[in-house]
Amino acid sequence: MAELKPGTTVDLISGGQIKVVKELGRGGQGIVYLSEFQGHQYALKWYTQQYPDTFYNNLKHNIEQGSPSKGNEFLWPLMLTKRQYDSFGYVMQLRPQGFSEFGDFLMAKAKFASISAMITAALQICQGFYFLHLKGYSYQDLNDGNFFINPQTGDVLICDNDNVTAQGQNTGILGKARYMAPEIVAGGKPDKYSDYFSLAIILFLLFYGNHPLEGKKVLSCPCMDEVNDRKFYGSEALFILDKDNKENLPVRGVHTNVITRWPLFTKNLQDAFIEALSQDLIKNSTKRIIESRWEKVITSMRNLLVVCKNCGNETFADIEKQTACINCGKPVTVDYQIKTTNYGNIVLSPKKNVFLGKSKQPVAAVRINKADPSVWALQNLSTTTWMVETPSGKLKPVGQNEIMPTKPGLKITFSQGEKGEIV
Amino acid sequence: MGILDSAPVPRRTMVLFFIVDTSGSMDGTKIGSVNAAIREVTPMLDEISSNNADAEIKIAVLQFSSGCEWMYDEPKSASEFRWIDMEADGLTDLGAAYQELSSKLSRNAFLNEATGSFAPVLILLSDGEPTDDYQRPLEKLKENKWYKAAIKIAIAIGSDANRDVLKEFTNSSEAVIEVHNVEALKKLIRTVSVTASQIGSQSSAAGVKDKQTQVTESITKEVEQIDGASSSAAPAIGSSSDDDWD
Repeated sequence: MAELKPGTTVDLISGGQIKVVKELGRGGQGIVYLSEFQGHQYALKWYTQQYPDTFYNNLKHNIEQGSPSKGNEFLWPLMLTKRQYDSFGYVMQLRPQGFSEFGDFLMAKAKFASISAMITAALQICQGFYFLHLKGYSYQDLNDGNFFINPQTGDVLICDNDNVTAQGQNTGILGKARYMAPEIVAGGKPDKYSDYFSLAIILFLLFYGNHPLEGKKVLSCPCMDEVNDRKFYGSEALFILDKDNKENLPVRGVHTNVITRWPLFTKNLQDAFIEALSQDLIKNSTKRIIESRWEKVITSMRNLLVVCKNCGNETFADIEKQTACINCGKPVTVDYQIKTTNYGNIVLSPKKNVFLGKSKQPVAAVRINKADPSVWALQNLSTTTWMVETPSGKLKPVGQNEIMPTKPGLKITFSQGEKGEIV
Repeated sequence: MGILDSAPVPRRTMVLFFIVDTSGSMDGTKIGSVNAAIREVTPMLDEISSNNADAEIKIAVLQFSSGCEWMYDEPKSASEFRWIDMEADGLTDLGAAYQELSSKLSRNAFLNEATGSFAPVLILLSDGEPTDDYQRPLEKLKENKWYKAAIKIAIAIGSDANRDVLKEFTNSSEAVIEVHNVEALKKLIRTVSVTASQIGSQSSAAGVKDKQTQVTESITKEVEQIDGASSSAAPAIGSSSDDDWD
């Protein structure tokens, strides 16, 4: 099996040759090399395992079709090499600076700078899945190696797109059992419904830091061989916080993250996972939670994300009742909210960035008066001018970066007609 | 502890066992190559382990000659493992090694991790004929559940190695690789350790070939590229099977 030495050139099917510079990393499937083509640097993924023609042809097809989105969410394969040196590979952009592998977050080698960044990452993962499904693709091998995340901003890059295929197809490459839907572990063909299950697993790992199917029951299995993999991730898959069956609860001292974090996130997130990983949805794939619903759940949670006035850390407010800060335990009060037409009630707090729905860009930020912190203002961070209607019916424009008071009764018209009233 | 102060996810452990023949006939370049190769492969195993959210890799070494002995009295994580050079002298008590292995392949012995284990990888290296009764200990070993689930590879060093005996250990002739020179031995130790660890330490691929098959196929492909190495699935071409040791 051919590893490539620095200086080796490989023929591309689109013409020209790419030159290997040095190894960047290796995994179970192959090795990634820093390489050069026409004066630019790229990553070359070179396979060290044997793959059938269906896999090669699928890769070729994906390159011809191009990335599922116009943005930069995907490190999509750009060029394919000829079959050479007893193998082949594909060319993609290099991973930009500042991104860590999802596995590094799981192993606590990388940490999110803020809950806001964590939420951004979750929304971008949903968005990536959405684009893939929109183009009729599904994952064949989804796992922790598929995502690079920027811990500061929450930006996500979806990589390893060599295992993305048209739905219903099968290249014979199937993913790690821990990340696959039970029907795939049992030998079924991946489709968007099996991806929805994997999405729930990835989101749970992201928010709660433990695997949602690995609790007491799985821990009591001393030797995780293939038979047990098929059982615990397939025929007997059981959510650790299943509302009816308590056989697989998280274990103190082992599943530390989920035990700590489960009560800290909002109830709507808990409810979504209880449903997504219920026996009903585990077994009935077509009922699974789709991306847009996850986005709604996550954006509702983001609406409640505030900065604690006491300790200055992020916590969640509750519109219905007074809650305690998840960091300092002091009461979290709701002073002002923006009641929007389509995106629910957004609770305001000093230093809060206001997002409308799943948008990546904040539309506004809450600023406070340095001399008198009880005086708040809302700054327009969008690129359009807001129209604000006062309680007496006057109309006032608020341009880009301009500020307005957070006075109850003011009605804001954001861009694209979205309206919000300060209450 | 809040939302952002994450603890590492609990990982399972995969123990990689090297079972090394250190009988007198291994003296010289053979044992020298084994010492050098495993020493060199350890940092690579550490890297695979530290980048793997599924499992941590630990290493255990059992040497057998007149009797047998563990290098350490417990498996050591790849990051802590320090190879101690082995010396070759004495008989080939493979039976003693099998017996010792049976006793340690247990949740009460070497596989007692709180967060559970993946099936282990067993790599057996030998250059000769067993000098003790190995049959009965092997029968007992074959009843061991960990052994049954393990990925098993044997390396036959030189043409004096009894391939049939090694095949009894692996249950498959494809998983017995023959090497005929020092370079091939070194390359093979690296390849086998890395490949088996990579595959063995990951959550298994659903619905496809089992881990043993994946490892055997992958190694067979490598063996084809290594001059002086062969297996029943990748037979040597020409006369390069003449031993060339000293």
